[in-house]
Amino acid sequence: MKGLMTPQPIRIAEIYDDGEASRHFTFEAINGTTHSAKPGQFFTLVLPGHGEAAFTYLSLPDADGRFKALIRQAGSLTTELFKCDTGDLIGFRGPFGNGWPIDQLLGKRVLIIAGGIGLPPLAAIADHLIADKNTQVALIYGSHSPTDQVLKYERSAWHMYMPVLETFDHPSNNEQLAGTPLDHVTEIEIKPGGKPEAILTCGPEVMMDAVAHYFTQNNLASEDIWLALERRMHCGVGECGHCYLGSSYVCTDGPIYSWQQLTQLHRQTTA
Amino acid sequence: MKVFILEDIEQLRDHLATQRQVFTPQHTEGSTELDWLPLTHKTKSITSAWPVLPTYPAKQFFFPDREILFQFDGHAFEEVLPEVELQILFGVRSCDLCAIAYQDQFFQQDPYYQARRKATLLVGIDCKQPCEGGFCPTVNAGPFIRDGLADLACHQREDESWLVLAHTPEGAALIQGLNLQTADPNLITQRSTEESQIAAGFPSAVHIEAGIQRINQAQVPAETWQSMGLQCLACSGCTNLCPTCSCFTSYDRPIADGIERERCWDSCLYDAFQREASSHNPSADAGQRVERFWFHKFSDAYVKTFDRYGCTGCGRCEKTCPGVIGVHSVMKRISGTL
Repeated sequence: MKGLMTPQPIRIAEIYDDGEASRHFTFEAINGTTHSAKPGQFFTLVLPGHGEAAFTYLSLPDADGRFKALIRQAGSLTTELFKCDTGDLIGFRGPFGNGWPIDQLLGKRVLIIAGGIGLPPLAAIADHLIADKNTQVALIYGSHSPTDQVLKYERSAWHMYMPVLETFDHPSNNEQLAGTPLDHVTEIEIKPGGKPEAILTCGPEVMMDAVAHYFTQNNLASEDIWLALERRMHCGVGECGHCYLGSSYVCTDGPIYSWQQLTQLHRQTTA
Repeated sequence: MKVFILEDIEQLRDHLATQRQVFTPQHTEGSTELDWLPLTHKTKSITSAWPVLPTYPAKQFFFPDREILFQFDGHAFEEVLPEVELQILFGVRSCDLCAIAYQDQFFQQDPYYQARRKATLLVGIDCKQPCEGGFCPTVNAGPFIRDGLADLACHQREDESWLVLAHTPEGAALIQGLNLQTADPNLITQRSTEESQIAAGFPSAVHIEAGIQRINQAQVPAETWQSMGLQCLACSGCTNLCPTCSCFTSYDRPIADGIERERCWDSCLYDAFQREASSHNPSADAGQRVERFWFHKFSDAYVKTFDRYGCTGCGRCEKTCPGVIGVHSVMKRISGTL
């Protein structure tokens, strides 16, 4: 396939700080080119001379080709990205990956559980489900502390459209909820009729595993629990090998897996 | 498929050389290694080195250890596809042909691999005897060439004449002008019988079969993988020489007015292979990485996609491993047949 590994140029349109060591980026296509993507898919950014890394769509490309990402400074590429200004030209490849299983979520009561920097991969699907009148959706977002929270503007909008609980390992006052999202999971009500019929989660793997175990023990089928995994997704097209998970490549078969699929993949190996 | 009789294999080789550049396994002067090198007037007969396999498989012709992917001049990204002269690989063994078929499928979307592959025709040679450490019959990868995996397959008969099997129209076109006599169909049947006899002469591979079974039943204790992890030097010898290994990484290199992106072979046995920017590493333990390598070679999960295991039984990993975790050593340990 021509152009499989070759980036397209895009421009940084907007940047603002949003959470600890994190920035909110808006990218725009050059020459009016745009592309379509699904919630939960990802793309790569290419900083010439510094490599390439994968990021999730915070918002999908609009008619003008503008899309957003929330990026935390973690490695050498993001360190260089944080030196960039609006108007700078960088490279882009994508979209990659499978995305959230929208058809299996519409019309259900959906609970979203995010931890830390795991919130951005859930943002586009949250917006999509909120927009569907037959789907009921709620969010629990756990952070280390209030200063670690990301997506301040998106969250203030979500508070108007769905039940949202925010929890903290280290709250800064007594009014904030202390503990993990699972500590408060029974306090959130998804109308009508209460219990979630599907779970979407993204965050540290120990948190996601705990969420999956909790809901399977509370009689939710493992095929209704969906996790967004992070791996080192290097090429995005299932070739370079870095993102393997058993016999699966996270960049093409994922990054969204049901707990049922993950359980089977984990059973393939022992070490 | 058309089948012909050939008296002299060198006659075919020299005929091919009039059409395209020919590469064939041969000894570099002063070296005992058998390398893939361009045919010259000094090149000895393909049969002179039997039954030794070339040190490297043929994968470097299609998936080289380094290659440029694109360039950036400050404004635009330009794909850089390889320009490959039309070539023929002469004397490819069945195990390596099976690996090429495996990678043809794995890299079917990859424009770099495909550009190199489409410029290449394959002339295979049936192995007449087991090679050291080889176990191709156990993984259905030899010793004779599987139908369709080479453009031409050459088979030496007992009287030292050759059968030439033209598996593809391109292969048939290559031998036009040689005026070869069509072979008696009975000779094809004889070839099949002979393959069974040669396969029966391979050393026992019960440890491979039992190891495959234990890997697929996830019955190998984590401690066994961990003890083998301690013996892995992460030298990447096995992954470099494995004819189906295909992992790569990439890096940017400055050029005049910009950069170019190169990809180069990587290895799942390196400790940072899966490490993320956050420092989270799903395979931080060397035992996990050793398990990963062998899972990728012998898991049934890949047979659905590739119609074969990721191991073609060439045995190169056993020869190159400076530790004791090549295929025979590993499979003996995990199968309990050590």
